[in-house]
Amino acid sequence: MTHPTKRIARAELDRLFALLSEDARVVHGPTVRDGAIVDAPLASVSELPIGWTDQQAPGRYRLTRRDDAAVFGFVVGPSSPKPLFFPPEETLYRAERRADGKVGFVPVVPSPAPKALLGVRACDVAAMRIQDRVFRDREHREPRYAARRDDTIVVGVHCLAPGPLCFCASMGAGPRVGEGADLALAERLDAGGHIFLVEALTARGQALLSRLEGSEASDEELRWRDEALASAERSMGRTLDTAELPGRLYAALDHPRWEEIASRCLACGSCTSVCPSCFCSGSDDPSDLEGAHTSHTRHWESCFTSAHGELHGHTTRPRTSERYRQWATHKFGAWVSQMGQSGCVGCGRCIAWCPSGIDLVAEVRAIADGVSPVTMPVAREVTAPREESLVPRAATVLARTVESSDVVTLSLRMEPDGRRDFAPGQFHQLSLPGVGEAPISISGDDGAGVEHTIRAVGKLTEALCALRVGAQLGVRGPYGRGWPMDELAGGPVVVVAGGIGLAPLREALRRMLADPERYPDVRLFYGARTPEDLLYGRELLGWIDRPGFDLHVTVDRAGPTWRGHVGVVTRLLRPATVPASARAILCGPEVMMRFTVDALAKLGLPHTRQWVTMERHMKCATGTCGRCQYGPHFVCKDGPVFRFDEVSMLFGRHGL
Amino acid sequence: MGSEAHAPPARPRLGVFKLASCDGCQLTLIGCEDELLALSEKVDIAHFPEASSRTDVHGRFDVALVEGSVSAEWQREELLSIRERSKLLVTIGACATSGGVQALRNGKDVSEFVRAVYASPAYISTLDRSTPVSAHVSVDYELRGCPIDKHQLLEVLTALLVGRRPAIRDESVCMECKRRGNVCVLVAHGEPCLGPVVHAGCGALCPRFARGCYGCFGPKESPATAALAARLKELGVPAADLARRFRSISGGAPAFADEAAKQELEHD
Ligand code: SF4
Ligand code: SF4
Ligand code: FES
Repeated sequence: MTHPTKRIARAELDRLFALLSEDARVVHGPTVRDGAIVDAPLASVSELPIGWTDQQAPGRYRLTRRDDAAVFGFVVGPSSPKPLFFPPEETLYRAERRADGKVGFVPVVPSPAPKALLGVRACDVAAMRIQDRVFRDREHREPRYAARRDDTIVVGVHCLAPGPLCFCASMGAGPRVGEGADLALAERLDAGGHIFLVEALTARGQALLSRLEGSEASDEELRWRDEALASAERSMGRTLDTAELPGRLYAALDHPRWEEIASRCLACGSCTSVCPSCFCSGSDDPSDLEGAHTSHTRHWESCFTSAHGELHGHTTRPRTSERYRQWATHKFGAWVSQMGQSGCVGCGRCIAWCPSGIDLVAEVRAIADGVSPVTMPVAREVTAPREESLVPRAATVLARTVESSDVVTLSLRMEPDGRRDFAPGQFHQLSLPGVGEAPISISGDDGAGVEHTIRAVGKLTEALCALRVGAQLGVRGPYGRGWPMDELAGGPVVVVAGGIGLAPLREALRRMLADPERYPDVRLFYGARTPEDLLYGRELLGWIDRPGFDLHVTVDRAGPTWRGHVGVVTRLLRPATVPASARAILCGPEVMMRFTVDALAKLGLPHTRQWVTMERHMKCATGTCGRCQYGPHFVCKDGPVFRFDEVSMLFGRHGL
Repeated sequence: MGSEAHAPPARPRLGVFKLASCDGCQLTLIGCEDELLALSEKVDIAHFPEASSRTDVHGRFDVALVEGSVSAEWQREELLSIRERSKLLVTIGACATSGGVQALRNGKDVSEFVRAVYASPAYISTLDRSTPVSAHVSVDYELRGCPIDKHQLLEVLTALLVGRRPAIRDESVCMECKRRGNVCVLVAHGEPCLGPVVHAGCGALCPRFARGCYGCFGPKESPATAALAARLKELGVPAADLARRFRSISGGAPAFADEAAKQELEHD
């Protein structure tokens, strides 16, 4: 496609700058600072890095002088547009916890001055598209990101002289500026003079272009540009074969190279921080001394931190090799399943700015070249994005039931409307201002409120368990994919629960028992540590006389008064108790589920007829913080319930 | 929650103690000025000799902040007593957390230092090693830095008061450095920087002023000291210099002590 293109004189850049600054727009662009070319708000064209260039190698960057006055005669520096829209640290909402136990939440959404970005490279324009997808154009629309990003004018620059670390051509992101920019510049500096070809890619770009002084670009000039771009494409410093790369990387999870890289990798997080597309974040709840006033903040995190893999006070990725593997497999592999495109645009920043000089391209090639790929899950369809404020609403404790020594069920009324919409297996994010937020599965609907069964294992869950009737807390959700209630209908259903794993299954059980026509045969196998740890005893007893319901209970240890089974739950699974035609839903500790899946498979239930729940420490619950990643899945939105074949290649593996 | 409103609990008692140290970390607490007022409404600062004449040498405390390392026998005894009388013990600063600059003498002949430094060596009574608080008693929370960071100190105290986990990240200085938008001094200038293996908390102060991090917050979680040492050597830093860098402020921390020892061996 040919876009309207004008040839303008170098001096005409001043006019372009003035046009971009109209309506109090802040113009951001490259400038020289602290020995590098960084992005900053600019006052005039003269602040651009005129006559400067950069020399880059793995772990090395040097700013040097050019022998001409090129305006864009360099590639990319350490900064990208990312922080303009997804700031390194920001407040999402303020929360208040009053003396009477009531809570309030006030979203913080900025209303920044509109921006114009001048001189954005093709790779960075592509990276902006990726971030748009993460934060704005998928299921959820993050209003803070949107407020900063919408109405931004983007003036791109075609890359005619790529650097030694560049591989945008391999990633399909450059060197030609693509969708996302309003204007694209090509800088020409030769015996014929110093000119720019300015191409309008959008209507807005066209409006700007029409106000620039210049002539229509000649055929020769357009040919020059296209040839320069073609030659740039051929002279990329690095190349990467991306065909089936996700499947090849996931087939190489046990490659010895991961461990070898760990002897050089500092796990410092510099790579993810300079990456223009990395989106992972963590959150904190700093408060005043009373804990009465809290800000919920979000900050850039990295898969190289222990916090990123945190689960119940441990980290799922203790080793540097596992963290590096997470980074590379996410970037080039999981990302494709998550977003329908690779997470890398080939800018080379992570190679230049790695203090240890690790070359991501070389490592990925060493690991994935020649490997035959495994099949990856296909990206899920994106429905129209809905506004996601990430801000909790208040809920009031209607009832509090002590289930065991450390487990409490809270029935909550969602304020203001008392809504009780959720699917069995989904979860809520429960929060206490000043203390924190955690994912808690929904354990039922008692007709008045939504029930949550919580085990006191940390400060937050202890505080939640201690809430009294009438007290308030924060709730977000419901989130996630629940049990496949439709697929379970018709035939026998085997439900296997371990310990508190019965909680997310209870509402599914209730609904099945309430509808014997759709669910004629339901069998619950429930194992707990001791008889005292069995949940919902009274309710279970009330079910045993129902036709079409079978209950099998076992405990690990019991005193002399216990008459039931002792031993692991898998011992109860036998041909006599499990029909081969059954479908099974499982929830419990990962080891228990692993043994159960194998036992059920032996009894004739293929992986496609078994569903498990995965546990990760969800932070955002909307697929935007990366915390809950499990291979190519986000547990928060693709799970927590998975059909076993979706996760079988990952299940039971360490360091994911 | 609701019930808390009616009967305000007795203010928790805070004690601030000093072992072998320079007082810089306690000064950070005093430097909290505005916040200190608010804090003193919430907690009973029962023992803080540096800031007030009010002391309570033998009392019991909900939170004890301990500055300084154990460098003399009386300090060890006092520390045991503080621990016994305190529900929570928080070490503040590099000395208390990893032995501090004083740990430079570890493994050396102390009497020689004493003779070299003091006019009347006879008055000096010192142990031959400077050790962190955690070598003697259990520690509930360690606050890094030389000196500590005011915001981190307030965060820990707030979290302990409110009953949540302190929001203190065990990540590298690089993470903070990048969030601030600094240009990496190691990559852009070849400046030796310990940031990749050092615990965050200072806000990447040194790189902000175009200097390499010298590690006053001590090692981060999983510090890749060997990998960084190898890289800095590639950049031309000699082994002896590397050893000095790892030894300086947090040289008593095992990860740094080990790396320094390795470099010294290589140098000899
Ligand atoms: S992974 Fe590296 S090369 Fe790819 S976009 Fe991120 S920083 Fe650039
Ligand atoms: S200057 Fe030091 S702390 Fe900052 S990114 Fe570079 S290596 Fe890390
Ligand atoms: S992506 Fe944030 S919790 Fe899943």
